[in-house]
Amino acid sequence: MITFTFNGTTLTAPAGQSVAAALISHQERITRYTRHQGSARGLFCGIGVCFDCVVVINGERSQRSCITVVQEGMVIEVQDGS
Amino acid sequence: MEVRYQVIVIGAGPAGLNAAKYAANAGLKVGIIDSAPKLGGQYWRHTGNEEFDRSAHHDFDQGSLLMDAVRANPRITIHSSCTIWSASVIDGEIVLRTKDGAFITSRLILASGAYDRAIPFPGWDIPGVMTAGAAQSLLKGQGVLAGKRMVVAGTGPFLLPVAVGLSSHGGSVVGVIEANSKYSWIRGVGPLLQNPAKSFEGLGYLLTVRKEKVEMRFKQAVTAAHAGADGLLESVTVSNIDSEFKVRSSYTLQCDVAAISWGFTPDTSLAGALNLTQEVAIDGSVVVRVDEDQRTNHDHSGIEIFAAGELTGIGGSDLALLEGAIAGLAASGSTNNLKRLKSLRRRAQRFANALVRVYPIPNGWQSWLTPETVICRCEEVSYQTLCAAQEDLEVRNARSAKLMTRCGMGMCQGRVCSRNIFDLLNSDEKDRVNGSYRPIISPITLGEVAATGLL
Repeated sequence: MITFTFNGTTLTAPAGQSVAAALISHQERITRYTRHQGSARGLFCGIGVCFDCVVVINGERSQRSCITVVQEGMVIEVQDGS
Repeated sequence: MEVRYQVIVIGAGPAGLNAAKYAANAGLKVGIIDSAPKLGGQYWRHTGNEEFDRSAHHDFDQGSLLMDAVRANPRITIHSSCTIWSASVIDGEIVLRTKDGAFITSRLILASGAYDRAIPFPGWDIPGVMTAGAAQSLLKGQGVLAGKRMVVAGTGPFLLPVAVGLSSHGGSVVGVIEANSKYSWIRGVGPLLQNPAKSFEGLGYLLTVRKEKVEMRFKQAVTAAHAGADGLLESVTVSNIDSEFKVRSSYTLQCDVAAISWGFTPDTSLAGALNLTQEVAIDGSVVVRVDEDQRTNHDHSGIEIFAAGELTGIGGSDLALLEGAIAGLAASGSTNNLKRLKSLRRRAQRFANALVRVYPIPNGWQSWLTPETVICRCEEVSYQTLCAAQEDLEVRNARSAKLMTRCGMGMCQGRVCSRNIFDLLNSDEKDRVNGSYRPIISPITLGEVAATGLL
């Protein structure tokens, strides 16, 4: 199992799982809030096309959670603004 | 870094894998470039746990054999997790730029596939509303159920395998909502009967849906989604619709996931960058035009570019495999078995065309929109903003709509909303085709561009 944090909470996931799948397994469905209206968004296309599931990973913004594999010690945060 | 191959195949789904196999068997050194970490494309998405993968696919063995054959072929080199951000012709050669350096060839086979077509409706941006492909890729690729109470909706043959997959892996599917009629298959009866294997496959899913006690509802659609206090999907409005998709009456269904599929949109972004001739297919999507040998039309001299699979028209994996084989043979100049493959392709093509007749998507979905409905998800452009641009700013095509409202200008580069904007603006063929001409194919940081030494 891999250990990572999401918004400061420590969570686990099987090795090789995508960040999006790991978050959904823990009932975490909101990946970002939009720039203009602050609307909650989550996984939508699931295959790297739509960029709605982007999160901040280890300080780097706009990482697509659906095509990024979760790694040991990853610090993942919800993304505010696009 | 610069790498050269005799032929480069872009995409590792059914079309790309078969193209690589056939070209390599004909003696060419082949490089496969694929953006995903694993081979198989969207169709043969897998977890690597063989038992699970078999349970999630009806024909995983076919994919497994092809993937093994490609991996084992000494003439094939695979570059996975490799995203192309620019494609151009420089000094008579095709140059493909990625974060891992440039790939150069004079013979290219494009097999970049397709993604779910999404149609806007009020609330389609609430977390929990997703494409059926997203729910499918979570299950097939990650072994994760998208939610607890799920609705599968939209139209087409893809709804059934998604619903069966979710249900047979322990998910609760509270309804399969098909927008077309129970009897719509009659519109494609000829080709459906000529392809008994495919028709039986569909029938098999239908029987499994029954066995799993999943309710199948026809001539209905999810026309609105509603969030709870936590901002997550809580329920959807399901409407009885007429053959034009106009709403007759509605009711509410509680769910935490709505997995919705309106067929697929071919990914022709590389074709746009390479200036290949594109056209509007019978389902209204923009596709790459190819000849009998899957050869594309362009005005570059000294190079050959082929296209195979979904980006030449949505047709499913059987057609994609055949087109890939033909493209691989044609790229290597071989005519071995070509006649038989072409005849099989004609039959698979007729089947694909019949499915378009069976599952039409008329423009009545536009009546589901409210003024506030988001059309462009990235830039949060509402339906009323788009309407105002048409009325007040005389916006008549997608390009001026983009310049005036920013619709199609966000991170997804219009991949999700373009088709809907064309339909809302009643765009002509030229406007639709122009939509895929983008110099930068995927988002890239200025730092990454600087690191290439191109600046």
